[in-house]
Amino acid sequence: MDQRQANSLIMTVNEKKFIESALLSDIRVDGRRPFDYRNLTIRFGSEDGSSEVQLGHTQVIGFVSAQLIQPYRDRPTEGTFAIYIEFSPMADPSFEAGRPGETAVELGQIVDRGLRESRAIDTESLCVVAGKLVWSIRIDLHIIDNGGNLVDAANIAALAALSTFRRPECTFGGEDGQEVIVNPPDLWEPLPLIIHHLPVAVTFGFIGKENNVVIDPTHYEEAVMGGSMTATLNTNGDICAIQKAGGDGVLQSVIMQCLRIASVKAGDITSKIKNAVEAYNTQRSLRKIKRHDPLPDEQGSIDVAKYHMERLTLGSDVSTAGHSNMEIGSQSNERDETNKKNTTAKGFSGRPASWDPYSRGVDGDALKASLASRVTAPPDKHIKSSRQVKADVAKSSQRSSDTNSFQEAKKIGLQTDESKTLKDAVKPRQKRRINKSTSNSAAT
Amino acid sequence: MEAKPSSNLSSKFVDQVVVPGDVILDLSSMANQTIKLGGGLRQDGDSISVMKAGTLRFTKPNKYWVESSHKRYVPCAGDNVLGVVVDTKPENFLVDIRGPALAFLPVLAFEGGTRRNIPKFEVGTLLYVRVVNANTGMNPELSCMDASGKAAEYGVLKEGYMFESSTGLSRMLLSSPPYPVLEALGKKLSFEIAVGINGCFWVNASQSSTVILVGNAIQKSESLSMVQQKIYLEKLLKSIQ
Repeated sequence: MDQRQANSLIMTVNEKKFIESALLSDIRVDGRRPFDYRNLTIRFGSEDGSSEVQLGHTQVIGFVSAQLIQPYRDRPTEGTFAIYIEFSPMADPSFEAGRPGETAVELGQIVDRGLRESRAIDTESLCVVAGKLVWSIRIDLHIIDNGGNLVDAANIAALAALSTFRRPECTFGGEDGQEVIVNPPDLWEPLPLIIHHLPVAVTFGFIGKENNVVIDPTHYEEAVMGGSMTATLNTNGDICAIQKAGGDGVLQSVIMQCLRIASVKAGDITSKIKNAVEAYNTQRSLRKIKRHDPLPDEQGSIDVAKYHMERLTLGSDVSTAGHSNMEIGSQSNERDETNKKNTTAKGFSGRPASWDPYSRGVDGDALKASLASRVTAPPDKHIKSSRQVKADVAKSSQRSSDTNSFQEAKKIGLQTDESKTLKDAVKPRQKRRINKSTSNSAAT
Repeated sequence: MEAKPSSNLSSKFVDQVVVPGDVILDLSSMANQTIKLGGGLRQDGDSISVMKAGTLRFTKPNKYWVESSHKRYVPCAGDNVLGVVVDTKPENFLVDIRGPALAFLPVLAFEGGTRRNIPKFEVGTLLYVRVVNANTGMNPELSCMDASGKAAEYGVLKEGYMFESSTGLSRMLLSSPPYPVLEALGKKLSFEIAVGINGCFWVNASQSSTVILVGNAIQKSESLSMVQQKIYLEKLLKSIQ
């Protein structure tokens, strides 16, 4: 009994009275005016499709992933998406771990409705084979700090994550050309989702009997408000969803006023999201820029294509189709190595993974030619190195086994079509290991 | 709150950072002396050891305690805290003092309190109370009287708004010489403030805007250095002029 009481937010009568009386003079407890939003910060993680949003004290993390599934029978040409919300117990004393409670489910519904009803995500483009294979997008939202107004923050996190998410490209291949091959992101540039518009949720709280309206309530205001309304709309002026919760009745004029204000705020938030996403994309493409002169591509295009095909068939064995997934890389690594025995073409694939030490980024022949005089030293091959993230690769695998990991350290990011100068990239000491590693990897 | 230079009596750890497990005093070497232990210290037979990480403080004649700043409050006897009534029982009021357990406030612990004039507190009433005893594992006991039985300033706080801070900020607000932020604000604005050592303070003024201004200024000043505080306050007070 004690513990449960201690867990919920206990408001003093003074606070309730004060919040209402302060609103009469158009001022709120944290100094905002009734229609001011708190500071919004949008950050992105190192992977495509992960976002972190901070709205005042409220913090939400969003993460998008994709998987190939069978479509619903009545919608054979459409992909699906689903939203999963988790209220972390560290966000609020009243949040318990385990199954989502009512508020969590409601929050999920609001965000889901905003995206689904308005058809913000183009699901037709997620179709791979009609009736058989479509992409299923999964959006995970984690609330890590509850400072009030979780809906808005969670919605922004979902939108930001969706805008930066890239799904792997699928091609047809195999013996009969019917097999679907999911191309790992290191080989083919993953594609962004097609998002038609950004439905932004704007939440209003109704405090007191005089229908005082506040936008973006803090969790103190949420504890004293009599009702709330969340309007989801986009910059085109479409209202995607409205949710009115709570017991207090609201005048129609007030609702119309709220919607007008909401459309202005939605415009602000949309531009903030777009700017953040643009900055992220610019950074992402900057990472892909090579940092040294390109090697002339010695292999013929046919060899390259053949090599691609062999490589790509391996990709079909991979079940998960997530983006920049370590597992894809490492699994295809092991198979690559077996395949390498058979492959003679050491062609430069054009797009080795930055984090994949066993990728085909090494132009073996050219290297062998240049390193003929060097003494080879035994590399210490750790499978671990293949699982390291880009940043880790840059730091720790410099001294470790593979040149490939080293080369990735040098040029963080995917390669463009022009071949790279491994010679220039690699330090003399490491070059010794390149030769040995390529011959070793062929042996394993 | 300042530690005096150590005489033979005081520990050599005074004003230094101590961590749980440090033994700050060995009683076997001191005979016939009474030492008062504040928060964060514990007596283990003949040695006084530290339970909470922080800075060791000493005031004459014989009081030791450990100071640290947290958002969570650990109840200690003798503290003045702000509490919120959560429930009423026949014998006690259950009061939340932002500690690990709810505290009990006996219904008779008021000046002139008898069975006939038990105060009626509704849920959510804000009180300024004194912690009488706080043993670990038990619910702390409170009182609305000081040690001599007078009401002093304890009791219900009406109007105003309660802001959250940390225990460190609360101590700074209660220190003498007075906290510069409080002084500067007090020169220009008129307000009343009650500081609970449990990491919250209550502000009341004739106008809501004053309350909000004072509360937010104090909260923000915690993370600013002395110089920054001065600059921040100057700007703030100019803007309301």
